[in-house]
Amino acid sequence: MDMSFTAEETAFRDDIRAFLKAELDPALARKVRLHHDLTKAEMEGWHAKLQSKDWLAGNWPTEFGGAGWTAIQRHIFEEESARAHAPRIVPFGIAMLGPVLQKFGSKEQQDYWLPRILNGDDWWCQGYSEPGAGSDLASLRCEAVRDGDDYVVNGQKTWTTLGQHANMIFCLVRTNATGKKQEGISFLLIDMTTPGVSVRPIVLLDGTAEVNEVWFDNVRVPAANLVGTENDGWTYAKYLLTHERTNIAGVGFATAALDNLKRVAKAQRHRGQPLSDDPLFATEMASVEIELMAMSTTNLRMLSAAAQGQAPGIESSMLKIKARRSASVWMR
Amino acid sequence: MDFQLSDDHRMLQDSLRGILTRHSGEALMPALAEAGVPQALLTEAEGGFDGSGAAVALIFEALGRAGASLPLIGTMIGVAALAQAGQPADDGATIAFADAEPGTRYDRGVAITVDGDRVTGRKTMVAGAEGATAIVVTTADALWLVAADAAGLTVRPYPLMDDQRGADLIFDGTPATRLGRLTDFDAVLARGVLAHAAYALGTLSAAVDLTMDYLRTRKQFGQPLIAFQALAHRAADLSVEVEQARSAVTNFAGHLDADAPLRDRHLQACKVTLGRAARLVAEESVQLHGGIGMTEEYALGGMIRRLLAADTAMGDADYHLERFARGEPAFA
Repeated sequence: MDMSFTAEETAFRDDIRAFLKAELDPALARKVRLHHDLTKAEMEGWHAKLQSKDWLAGNWPTEFGGAGWTAIQRHIFEEESARAHAPRIVPFGIAMLGPVLQKFGSKEQQDYWLPRILNGDDWWCQGYSEPGAGSDLASLRCEAVRDGDDYVVNGQKTWTTLGQHANMIFCLVRTNATGKKQEGISFLLIDMTTPGVSVRPIVLLDGTAEVNEVWFDNVRVPAANLVGTENDGWTYAKYLLTHERTNIAGVGFATAALDNLKRVAKAQRHRGQPLSDDPLFATEMASVEIELMAMSTTNLRMLSAAAQGQAPGIESSMLKIKARRSASVWMR
Repeated sequence: MDFQLSDDHRMLQDSLRGILTRHSGEALMPALAEAGVPQALLTEAEGGFDGSGAAVALIFEALGRAGASLPLIGTMIGVAALAQAGQPADDGATIAFADAEPGTRYDRGVAITVDGDRVTGRKTMVAGAEGATAIVVTTADALWLVAADAAGLTVRPYPLMDDQRGADLIFDGTPATRLGRLTDFDAVLARGVLAHAAYALGTLSAAVDLTMDYLRTRKQFGQPLIAFQALAHRAADLSVEVEQARSAVTNFAGHLDADAPLRDRHLQACKVTLGRAARLVAEESVQLHGGIGMTEEYALGGMIRRLLAADTAMGDADYHLERFARGEPAFA
């Protein structure tokens, strides 16, 4: 075991830092730090800057145009980006669909869709949840019926994050309603400009409208947009979710939030002293920092296991649980 | 010992429930005024007819349960304080209570200072400041009256998280009338704290009821959610917290007129219990609902915002916990 960075990893970190210093607009970093909503152009602009260094898809192999980073390098990139308050990479194309197409897509699909993710031609969103299919995702009912060279799609998706910006949606659709519910699901790529697709924003309790409802009314989708085999979509869906979750603990962002908390605690005063010197507050903040130290290594261990070919399974779900609970402590 | 409401209080509760069923929005305040609810918050000496802990608790619990966001507490504190100071307020006066200061963690007299009969500095998150006829202001050790149109007073309004209108108040050598020492008015201020706590109790019990209904109605994996033991246990924890919160409010309400040291122990215990319960219910009710709990359209969204705001009024749980541990009075 060796917990220190190698010389190459340190050099890599210095590269990332230099890039962030040179390329990240302070006004944009401020918006990220204060949790203001970013515009589509701001998110796309940051993607383009990363792609100019071939750093947009750190998780993709180089043969698909990715950076082919190791788990450690990805961790370093995410931590440095978060500390600098760089925008988060929008995950739907890069982190979710990309790995699925690379593993299960046809050569034609890979050649067509993957470059379009990297150069920003397509903005993807995720069509998984439905009003009746949340935790019980496999009970989804949005149906696709084969008709000649097309599928005809009818139904509804919900909680579609940033769907208002998207021109493409990857969807889980029901192609077989008989038998075990997991066995009749297919993975379909749908152009959102097709007639019959409509998007409605859902306003959240903080007043933002980042998530949406998406409706499909007799939407014709070329059968060439089916990924893998019909009725095998559940396998691909699960593969995507484990990739979604290895980054979900958001360790880098938690580190940035802790830095922010320390800054606020120095500025606030309690009983004539900086709040950060208050013993009750200081011990609680220390507890948060200690938890984050362990969580950072938990995240790293899981990324490392995934890099060695072990499927991130139950551990990635653990990260999601842990991150949720920690977030609740930090909110106080 | 008797935990039953008196006949008068039961009638008050019934009439309040009727009003809250029939009226909402802008029609609510006139209906409450017509039914004499504001007078029920005041003693006879203050121009009202009750002002007991039981009356204050039942009124604000009902308002919290109905989700009514009204700036009643400032007027209650203001009218009572002015009556005690021998300077009774005009009929129909609406008074804002300016207590919290920016960056001081509920310590008073840090961001605001006194020179003779003029105050200079800032107060923040003052509910109902915009339409108020007068403002009652706390400083390090005294209570002051400031006219709404006083020279050197700037009001910077904004929406508060709990749907009320709030404001930052900036005082620049603003003329003020000293009403007396803060400790002279501790009973009046304690009534304000009880109102906030009871409002939080009403809100959190409504949120838990809504969550229970949802768990019984929503089906996933072919069963209602409440059939899943992991969820049932979490829901049971919330029900326990509602009862604990109710007991803490009952303790405080029953000791509102007790000697200051005993009353303050109950005040602090109540604020700590309610602050923690409110946060737990806000977080857990969202988790037990899933995404729907985050939306503005569903009733839980507003409840959560009101619960998170409830802890911050007149000192949060941490503030009162520390004073309880140190054996300090609630107001000094």
